[in-house]
Amino acid sequence: MRLIKSLILIPAVIIMLLSVAGCHRNSVPVYYMREDVDFSFIKKVAVMPLQNLTDERYADEIVRQTVISELLASGLVDVTIPGEVTAALEKLNIKSDAALNPDQIKQIGEMLDVQALVLGSVQQYGEVKSGSVAAPEVTITLMMADVNTGTILWSVTETLGGSSFMSRHFGAKSKTMSETVLAVVRKALLTFTE
Amino acid sequence: MSGKNRRTFVSVLVAAVSMLVFIYGCSAAKNYTSYIRPQFDIAGVKEIAVLPFENYTSGSYAAERVRRAVMIELMSKGIEVTEPGEITAVLRKQRIRSVRNITVENIRNIGEALGVDAVMKGSVGAFGISKGISVTYPDVSVNLTLIEPESGNIVWAASNTSGGPGFWTRHFGAEGPTLDEAAARVVREALDTLF
Repeated sequence: MRLIKSLILIPAVIIMLLSVAGCHRNSVPVYYMREDVDFSFIKKVAVMPLQNLTDERYADEIVRQTVISELLASGLVDVTIPGEVTAALEKLNIKSDAALNPDQIKQIGEMLDVQALVLGSVQQYGEVKSGSVAAPEVTITLMMADVNTGTILWSVTETLGGSSFMSRHFGAKSKTMSETVLAVVRKALLTFTE
Repeated sequence: MSGKNRRTFVSVLVAAVSMLVFIYGCSAAKNYTSYIRPQFDIAGVKEIAVLPFENYTSGSYAAERVRRAVMIELMSKGIEVTEPGEITAVLRKQRIRSVRNITVENIRNIGEALGVDAVMKGSVGAFGISKGISVTYPDVSVNLTLIEPESGNIVWAASNTSGGPGFWTRHFGAEGPTLDEAAARVVREALDTLF
């Protein structure tokens, strides 16, 4: 009788745990990539200042630095140093880089001698409370614009964060804010590099 | 202990150890990323000027503390480092107020003025004590870039972050590293990808 009880109880507990673990939100990046473009022509890009849509003062610059590092580490493209981008924007008298028109994109591209510009924004950067547990959450949008035509070649929105099943229930290691930024940028760039 | 109790004890012990091993295995992967420009001869870099770092934290001296850690780590690897006062003097002479907006031309001039083989730029994204579910831990995140003054090319870039508290700290209250120890480790791991 006890054996039968155990045989029922153990699988029931395992099934319940697996169901709860499976309920963890698994975000899928929303991305677009122009299919009629051969991306191998892009040898060097400039990462523009990102728009900061959060209350965190330096969220844009932290994400931008990570994007630059990850793009370089991918080995696919070279990246212009950020100071050159600022100098180009000043020279062209572009005060807001939130909405660049195709002409401006072309001018910046010519000035920096790059084939594409990476633009984007940081929508979420901070600790989000879920029940009794607070965990970092980061949401970013990145776009790549062709400097010759001004058209968007690739665009992605990615979000990551929240505490995992294992960290909530068993004290497993959860990601810090910096690790979340790194993970979200890596995941977003994977849609371009893979 | 009877045979039945012993069996129960052993089963519980095996289950507990398996659980701990499983949780231990859930540790995060490597947090650093690095890039080295192909065909760049890193052995030719004998002296580096480490520029003041950009500070993206709320701590006033975070950038300078990490910069010092980078300089010490470079020196321990046998690389000569320009005296920070010399760098400040050159930046003043060239009227460079913010290292954030430094251009290739600025870097070329700095390289010439200081006679260095490379110029290092950096930023600090996190530097402080963070609070986890039940423990506090040092959180340090850095981005480093090495630029060749002649070409203005980025020849090496690395980013690294300390990550959260370790297994022993989380579960057994073991003493974790201090903020400066965490910073030194993050810097060392990043520079290990270069030298």
